[in-house]
Amino acid sequence: MKKYLLLLLSVLVLSACGKEDDKLRVGSVVSTEGQITAYIVKGMLEHYTDEEVELIKNLGSAVVLHQAMLNGDANISAVRYTGTDLTGALGQEPVSDPEQALNMVQEIFQKEYQMTFFDSYGFNNTYAFMVTKETAEKFGLTKISDLKKVAQDLQLGVDTSWMNRDGDGYKAFSEAYDFKFGRVFPMQIGLVYDAVAQNEVDVVLGYTTDGRIASYDLTVLEDDLHFFPAYDASPFANTELLEKKPEVRKALQRLVGKISTEEMQRLNFLADNNLIEPAVIAEEFLKEHDYFSGDDTP
Amino acid sequence: MTQLSVVEQFFFYMRENGSYVFSQFLAHFQLSVYGVLLASIIGIPIGIWISKFPKFSGPVITLANIIQTIPALALMAMIMLVLGLGKTTVIVTVFFYSLLPIVKNTFVGIRNIDRSLTDAGRGMGMTKVQILYMVELPLSLSVIITGIRIALVVAIGIVAIGAFIGAGGLGDIIIRGTNATSGTAIILAGALPTALMAILADVLLLWLEKRLDPTKRKKLNVAA
Repeated sequence: MKKYLLLLLSVLVLSACGKEDDKLRVGSVVSTEGQITAYIVKGMLEHYTDEEVELIKNLGSAVVLHQAMLNGDANISAVRYTGTDLTGALGQEPVSDPEQALNMVQEIFQKEYQMTFFDSYGFNNTYAFMVTKETAEKFGLTKISDLKKVAQDLQLGVDTSWMNRDGDGYKAFSEAYDFKFGRVFPMQIGLVYDAVAQNEVDVVLGYTTDGRIASYDLTVLEDDLHFFPAYDASPFANTELLEKKPEVRKALQRLVGKISTEEMQRLNFLADNNLIEPAVIAEEFLKEHDYFSGDDTP
Repeated sequence: MTQLSVVEQFFFYMRENGSYVFSQFLAHFQLSVYGVLLASIIGIPIGIWISKFPKFSGPVITLANIIQTIPALALMAMIMLVLGLGKTTVIVTVFFYSLLPIVKNTFVGIRNIDRSLTDAGRGMGMTKVQILYMVELPLSLSVIITGIRIALVVAIGIVAIGAFIGAGGLGDIIIRGTNATSGTAIILAGALPTALMAILADVLLLWLEKRLDPTKRKKLNVAA
């Protein structure tokens, strides 16, 4: 009996020292972008508050991250995307208008979960069609509509899951833009950039902040019909925590509008191509910008 | 970067992120040691206790054996339900895995002491506590250390998995490598230090184990 008591006791003692509520715990998903923003948020919080910051990285998906927030394992999320949360955590229909999407997630999260969805960092990580520079020049491509006249001769490489998706998948896309590609190759999303750079396919559908856009010098085509839902990226935190510690809100607020899509592309590129750790990238990024000091306007 | 070979990329990575890898190395080691230390604090007394009351040894060792058969990720997932994400869960997981080798080795170490030695102690008028501290523990210490050694090497492996639930450590670097474009070098940068740590911990405790073995120490003294 004693041994069970001992085990139980040790578990209880440990669990008691596990979750002090005042500690700042920043959750992030496993992607490179998630890790970089996690370290940026950590750096800002350490710079502007006296709190201890713990990172909970490598969470499997946005849904897991949301669950961790609900359980109190994390009280800040490094980055959340309007589109992902709208259709994932909140179970709503996808919305293409960025402003409308942001207003919706902000309102619902505040009302139903007492969580604050900040305004965007300034970058969005949505789907985008991209081609090599040569292809763009050859056919005079700048926006997706330009593809219409040449699409039937082109080969498209896309994420497997996008092919069969309802709402914003290939079927809906070809209806909205009124054209189809000659051949479509569904593949793993990580491979599309290499595929287009090596001319295996002519056009691919990738993510706008991927570092490989910069490393392969790809041209991103403008979504002129606003077909893809908005995936603007924002910091995210527990409202109660923000009310208890206003300096946390201020520190996060300073990041709003400060990281453009190009900048995020560059940072992702440093991590994925130049083998620099997200922790190192974030630290240098913050030092470069002097922790966005002197800019306190919300 | 793609024009470099994996080995070149590895050295480039280490040069660029050396201090980061080192800090993760320390964090990783810390988590392993905490878990094993906790298991030692609780496991060694349990081991001593069941060696004194052998009728309990069966159930206790069976329980520890059962824990050992649960896959690390599954045990971690179960503990996570209670303790949530983060370092605590990993330390507790390491603790459970370390119990078996530590309890078992303490038990075996004390049970295997020549009865004539403890009898001699008793004959000299030593109390039970004195026999424990002056005869039994010194004689079984090297075997107990062997248990801790096994526990620590296993722990280093378990902490690497702990990165999945946000505990950090070198596993973090390995996971990042699996997600990056040219990830092989990054995976190596996480995996090599992990292996190195396990080897170092093993060698260090082996040395300690030899130092603490009175039978071998005597030979050293005679030689000197």
